[in-house]
Amino acid sequence: MARKDTSALEIPRERRIHLRPVAAAAAVLIALLANAHPTAQTVTAIKDGTVLTMTGEAIRRGVVLVRDGKILDVGRDLQIPPEARVIDAGGKYIMPGLIDAMTYFGVRPSDRNDPAKPITPENRIINAYAPFSDFMGGRGARDRRNEIWSGGITTIYVAPGDKQVIGGQGAVVKTGGRPGQEAVLREPASVDMTLGDAPKKVFAAQKKSPSTRMSVAALIRKALIQAQEYDQAQQRQREKPAEGASGQPPRRDPANEALVRLLRREVPARIEANLPDDIRTAIRLAEEFGFEVVVDGGIGAHEIADELAQRKIPVVLAPVSRTYMTEVEGGHTKELFAMVNERNAALLAGAGVRIALASFGYSTGYTGSAYQGRWLLLEAAMAAGFLLPEEEALRAVTVNAAEILGVADRIGSIAKGKDADLVILGGHPLDPKTWVEQVYIDGVLVFERPRSR
Amino acid sequence: MMRRHVSSSNSFRAGGSHWFLGVFLASMMLPAAGWAQSTLAFRGGTVITVTGSPIEGGVVLVRDGKIIAVGKDVSIPADAAIVETGGKFVMPGLVDAMTHFGIRPFGLNSQEQVTPENRAVEAYYPFGGFFKGKGGVEADNELLYGGVTTVYIAPGSTQLIGGQGAVVKTFGASYHGLILRDPASIDMALPPRPPREGTPPGRMAALALLRKTMIDAQEYDRRVREYNQKSDDDKKDAEKPPRDMANEALQRLLHRELPARVEADFVEDISAAMRLAEEFGFNLIVDSGIAAYQLKEVLAQKKIPVVVGKISHPFAPEYFTYPQELHSVADERNAAWLTRAGVKVAIASYASSFGGKATQGRWLLLEAALATAYGMSEEDALKAVTINAAEILGVDGRVGSLEPGKDADLIILDGPPLGLKTWVERVYIDGTLAYQRGGRN
Amino acid sequence: MRTAAVWIIIFPALVLSVPAGVQAPSGMGAVALKGATIHTAAGPPISGGVILVQDGRIRSVGQSIAIPGGAKVIDLAGKVIIPGMIDPHTHIGAFDADDVNEMPQPLGPENRAVDAIHLGVPDWQEAVAGGVTAVITGPGSGERMGGQSVMLKTFGGDLKRRILKEDGDLKMAVNARNLSHISDIYGNFVKAREYLSQWRQYQGGDRTGSPPKKDLALEALSRALRQEVPVRVHIYLVPDMLSFLEMKREFGFELQFIHSVESYKIAGQLAQNGVDCICLPLGTRYHETPDQLRGIAVLHNAGVRVALHTDHPVIHQKWQRLNAAMAIRYGLPEEAALRAVTINPAQMGGVADRIGSIEAGKDADLVVLDGPWFEPRSKVDMVFVDGVLAFDRTRAASQEGR
Repeated sequence: MARKDTSALEIPRERRIHLRPVAAAAAVLIALLANAHPTAQTVTAIKDGTVLTMTGEAIRRGVVLVRDGKILDVGRDLQIPPEARVIDAGGKYIMPGLIDAMTYFGVRPSDRNDPAKPITPENRIINAYAPFSDFMGGRGARDRRNEIWSGGITTIYVAPGDKQVIGGQGAVVKTGGRPGQEAVLREPASVDMTLGDAPKKVFAAQKKSPSTRMSVAALIRKALIQAQEYDQAQQRQREKPAEGASGQPPRRDPANEALVRLLRREVPARIEANLPDDIRTAIRLAEEFGFEVVVDGGIGAHEIADELAQRKIPVVLAPVSRTYMTEVEGGHTKELFAMVNERNAALLAGAGVRIALASFGYSTGYTGSAYQGRWLLLEAAMAAGFLLPEEEALRAVTVNAAEILGVADRIGSIAKGKDADLVILGGHPLDPKTWVEQVYIDGVLVFERPRSR
Repeated sequence: MMRRHVSSSNSFRAGGSHWFLGVFLASMMLPAAGWAQSTLAFRGGTVITVTGSPIEGGVVLVRDGKIIAVGKDVSIPADAAIVETGGKFVMPGLVDAMTHFGIRPFGLNSQEQVTPENRAVEAYYPFGGFFKGKGGVEADNELLYGGVTTVYIAPGSTQLIGGQGAVVKTFGASYHGLILRDPASIDMALPPRPPREGTPPGRMAALALLRKTMIDAQEYDRRVREYNQKSDDDKKDAEKPPRDMANEALQRLLHRELPARVEADFVEDISAAMRLAEEFGFNLIVDSGIAAYQLKEVLAQKKIPVVVGKISHPFAPEYFTYPQELHSVADERNAAWLTRAGVKVAIASYASSFGGKATQGRWLLLEAALATAYGMSEEDALKAVTINAAEILGVDGRVGSLEPGKDADLIILDGPPLGLKTWVERVYIDGTLAYQRGGRN
Repeated sequence: MRTAAVWIIIFPALVLSVPAGVQAPSGMGAVALKGATIHTAAGPPISGGVILVQDGRIRSVGQSIAIPGGAKVIDLAGKVIIPGMIDPHTHIGAFDADDVNEMPQPLGPENRAVDAIHLGVPDWQEAVAGGVTAVITGPGSGERMGGQSVMLKTFGGDLKRRILKEDGDLKMAVNARNLSHISDIYGNFVKAREYLSQWRQYQGGDRTGSPPKKDLALEALSRALRQEVPVRVHIYLVPDMLSFLEMKREFGFELQFIHSVESYKIAGQLAQNGVDCICLPLGTRYHETPDQLRGIAVLHNAGVRVALHTDHPVIHQKWQRLNAAMAIRYGLPEEAALRAVTINPAQMGGVADRIGSIEAGKDADLVVLDGPWFEPRSKVDMVFVDGVLAFDRTRAASQEGR
C-alpha cells in the first residue's frame, strides 16, 4: 500500500539545521500519526485501477473515493481531495467484494440441523453462527477467514443444513469485523427449505415421515396452512380482543411467526431443489401460498428455464465442479447426475433468469475440507468458459447475489453511497492466474495477500 | 464453645502442648467469639475496605453483627472486646459469585431442559461432613478456610434453564440464618454442558426453545395482569389463569426483579444471550465467558457484568468437560481486558463440591493473585472477589466491603491478601468468629 | 562526507538501542544477562549476578564475571532468573487434538516415541510462556506396562538438538487397587530375569546352539534390570507402594513413583530405598486433601528426592510454576521446590549434564521473571531455550494488540 512518504532518514545536505528537513520530519510524523488510525474518517482514494463497477462499462485508470466506510464517488477523472490517503492500484482490477449467496459456513456440524424434526421454521441460523470457533481442534478464526478473503468474499448468506424440510431462517453477514460484531446485514433473511432426496432420506432412515416427495410437499403445505390460520387468528385478536375462556388470545408461536413473515413476502423462501420436478414443486407451493421463492442448487433448472424466467424466480447455482464431487460421495442420484449440464448458468441467463453462483461451502476442521468459497471466481470463470457471458459471470458473484439476498442497497456494486466493500486483484477476475491482492470491508483493509504465496 | 477446628480428628490427638495451646488460645478468643451481642473492635494492621484506600493502623468497630465504623481514628468504647490485628491484614469476607456448592451431584440438574421453578436452595446441604453432619452451628469449613463468607449457589449447567440460584453465607446460627437472598437469579446455560439426552440438538433449536419459553412467559404475564386489572365483578365472570410456577419465576425475570445468569463461553453463545435479553427486556449477567473479551466493548456498553471462572484456566482440571474448541480462545488476560474495557468482573470458583471433594473456593485469593499476573491491578483483583461479586449478586447492601452499615463479615490474614504464603487466620460472619486457623492448616 | 560519518555512528547506535525484546542472536556472539537475582538450583541465590551465554550454552555464571568485549549486554536489574523448568511426567503433544484419550503404542525399537508426538499443537508455546523448557512426555497412562516416552525441549527448530532422550523409561500403571496387576508385573519381572540370564549365558558362552528367542517386551524389562532405564509407576496407595518396594529389593531396578499420593506415609522407607517421588500438588483440585499437599515437604524432609509434574492435560503444562508455589505454601522450602522442578527431574531423566541448573557448560535454558519466581503474581518476562529467546512477554502482548 503506497503512502504519502517523505523519507525521515533523508540525509541533510548541510550541517546547519535546515527548516526543510525539520518540516519534512514534522510532516511525516503528523502523517504517520494520522495514518496510525486508518478508520475510514479521512477520504481514501484508490486510483489508477481498472474499476469493474457492475453497473456499466469498466473504467480504465479509474478512481474510487471512499469515506466513512462508504463509496463517495467512482469515475475516471475524479478530483482527489488533497488530504486524501491515496492508494495506487497500479493498473490492477478493482471490483465489488464478492457475495457468496449460499453457504453453510461457520456452523458446527452438530448445529446444522435438528435431526429429529422435519420442520423447524423457528430455528435461526444466527444463533449457531460461529465463524471464529475452532471446530475439531483447529486453529480456527484467523485461518478460516483468510480462506474466505483469499477468495475476495466480503458477504455471505448462511443457511441451516439440508437435512430437514424446513431447517430454519438464514442470515446475511459480512465476513469482516470482530467476533460477535460482524455486520449482520439481514436476519432473518429467509425461510430455508429443502426438497428432493436429501431430507426424505434422513427421515426414511428413522422410519419417520416424511419419507416420500409427496409427504414432503404435504408437510410444507400443512405448515403453511397452519401459519395462515395462525395469522388470521392473530389478526382477529388484534381487531377485536376477545374475552372469556373461549376467546383466549392465541398464544404467540415463533414457528408460525417465521412462516407468516414468508407468507407476507417480508422474506423469501430459499428452496433447495435440483430436479425439474422438485423445482416445479417449489414453484407450485410459492404460487399457492403467494410467497417469494429463490431456487437453490437448480442443477436441472435449465430444462425449465422459461418457466422460471416468466415468474422471475432467481436461481442460486452451486459450482459446476461440485456436482461431480457430490456424486462421488453418493449425495446425488444417477437421475440427477444425468441432468448436469455445465452450460446451466449460460442457458438460464440466456433465458432471462437472474442467477447467482455460490459455493454451497461448508467449513469444518482445520485442514483441506475448509471453505470452498476460495475458488468462487474460478467457478465463475468456468461458467464463462461454458458460454456464460463474462459480465454475467461477474454479476453472478456480485450484484445479482446482492439482489437475490435483498441487500443490494448496501453492496454488490461500486456506486455512490454503497458500502466500501472492495477487492483489488492482480489481474482480470476471471483469469485463473489472478490472485486477490487486497480486500476492504467498510473501507478497512482486512486482507492482504502474503508475498510468499 | 465457639472454637472451630478444620481437622477436628487431629486436634485432640496432637499431644499435650497443642492441647494446652489450644485451650489457651480459646480462652483468649472467648470474648471475641461471643454471638454478635457485644461491641467488637478490630484494632491495628492494614485495613482493606475495598471501596476506599487501605488504612494503616486502622480500626473496624462492630456492634450487633454490623460494622458501625471504619477508620484510623475511631474511638473504641470501653465495653468493646478488642481483637488485636496489628501486623495483620483485615479485609471483607470474600464473595464467591458462582458455585454449585453443597448440592449433591445428582441433585444439580433435573431431567427436563427448562425448569425455572427449581430452586437451588431446596437442594442445599452444605455443612461440614456430608451425610454425617454435626448439627448445631452450621459452618462450611472448606470455604471458610479460604476466607469465603458469601457464596452464590446455582443449579448445574446441564439444562437450558436450571432454575433459581440463591446467595448464602458460609456460617450462621441456623439454616435460615444463612440465606442472604433467595431467589437471586434465573440460571441458564448456553449450550447446556454437557448436553444430556433430550437436549434440543444444536444451538438453533436450543435458542428457539428458549425464545418460545420466554414468549410463553410474556403471554402468561399478560393474562395475569389483565385478570388482575379487572374489577371484582368482572373477575367473577372471567377465568382466573391457573398459577404456573415456572412462568411465575420467569415473570420476575421479565419484570427485571431478578437477572438472568447465563453460562456462555463462545462468542456466538454470548451474542445469543444478549439477543434474548434485548428481545425480552431482562437483565443479563454472563457466567464463565471464556471468550467474553472478544465482545468487551459491547458488554461494557450494555453494562453486562461477567463472572469469570478460575484464572488458572483452562482445563485444570476441567479439560475433559470443556470442548477442545475453547482451548485456543481461553486467555488468562480475559478478566483484565474486560475490566479495562469497563465491564464489571467478578472472579468465582465455579466450585462444585460435595462431601470429600475439595472445593476450589479455598483458593479464591490465589486466583485473584494470578489475575494480577495477567494484567489486573491488585485493587481490581480484590474487588473481583469482594464488592464486584456482591454487586452482581445484588447483596452489596449487606456484604462485599468494610463500610458502616454492612454486615460484619471480615477476614484476618497473616500477610498481604495476594501473597502466596498468606493464610486466613480468622473469619468473622455477622460479627461472630466463624473460623480460626488451627495448628495444622 | 561528515554527514555519512554521522550516520555510520548513529545507525549502529539505533540498532543497538533497540530493546532487548528483539530476538537474541542464536550462537552468534556472547550475551550477558546482567543484574538479576539468579537462582541456579546448584547453590545459594546470587544477587546482582551475571550469566554469560554463548553458542546456546552457559559459559559462566556468578556475581563478578568479566563480560567479554563484544558481548551483548541485557540489563535485568530487579529481575529474577531460574533454570528452565522441567516436567518429568506429562502427556503434552501426545494425544489427538480432539480426543484426550491415550494412543496405545506398541513396544519395540522400530517405534520411535517422538513420532507419536504432535509438535504443532499450541500447548508447546503455552508451556514455554509458562517457563517450562523440557519435558518427559508420551502417551499411555492407562496401560499396565509399556508405552514409550521421549524427553525433549519445548522449543527449538532443530529436532536433533531438541530431543534429549528417546527411549525414556519403562512405564507402568497401577491405577487401582488390583492385586492381579501387581502379580502380573511381578511375573513379568521374573520372566525378564530369566530372559536376561539366558542371554547372558548365551553371549558369555561359546554361542553354540540356537540363541534364546528374542522377546521385545522382555528386552525392555531387562533394561530396567540392568538399571539402564528406571521403572516409573503411576501409583497412589501405600500397599501398592510397598509391593513395588519389595520388587525393587528383589530385582534391583531404579524406581520412581508418579503421583505418589500417599507416599508421605512411608517417607522413611522410600528414602532408605532410594525411591524418587514425582508429585502433583495441583491435583488437589480433584480430590486430594491438604495432608497430601503437606506430604511433599514430609518426603523432602525425610530425604526423598522429589519432583513435581502436571500430567498435562490433567493440569495444563504451563502451570508447573504454580505447582511449585503450592508445594511452598504447604511447607516445602523455596529452594527445594525450585530443585523439584529443575535439577531433580533432570537427574531423574538422566540428562542432568545438560539441563536443570544454571551452571557453566549446561544448556542456556533460562526463565526471567519480574518478581519472586514462585509468587503467582510474578510474570514470566523472557524464556531462553538453548540460548535462543523463545518467549518475550512484551512482544507477545503487542502482537495480539488487545
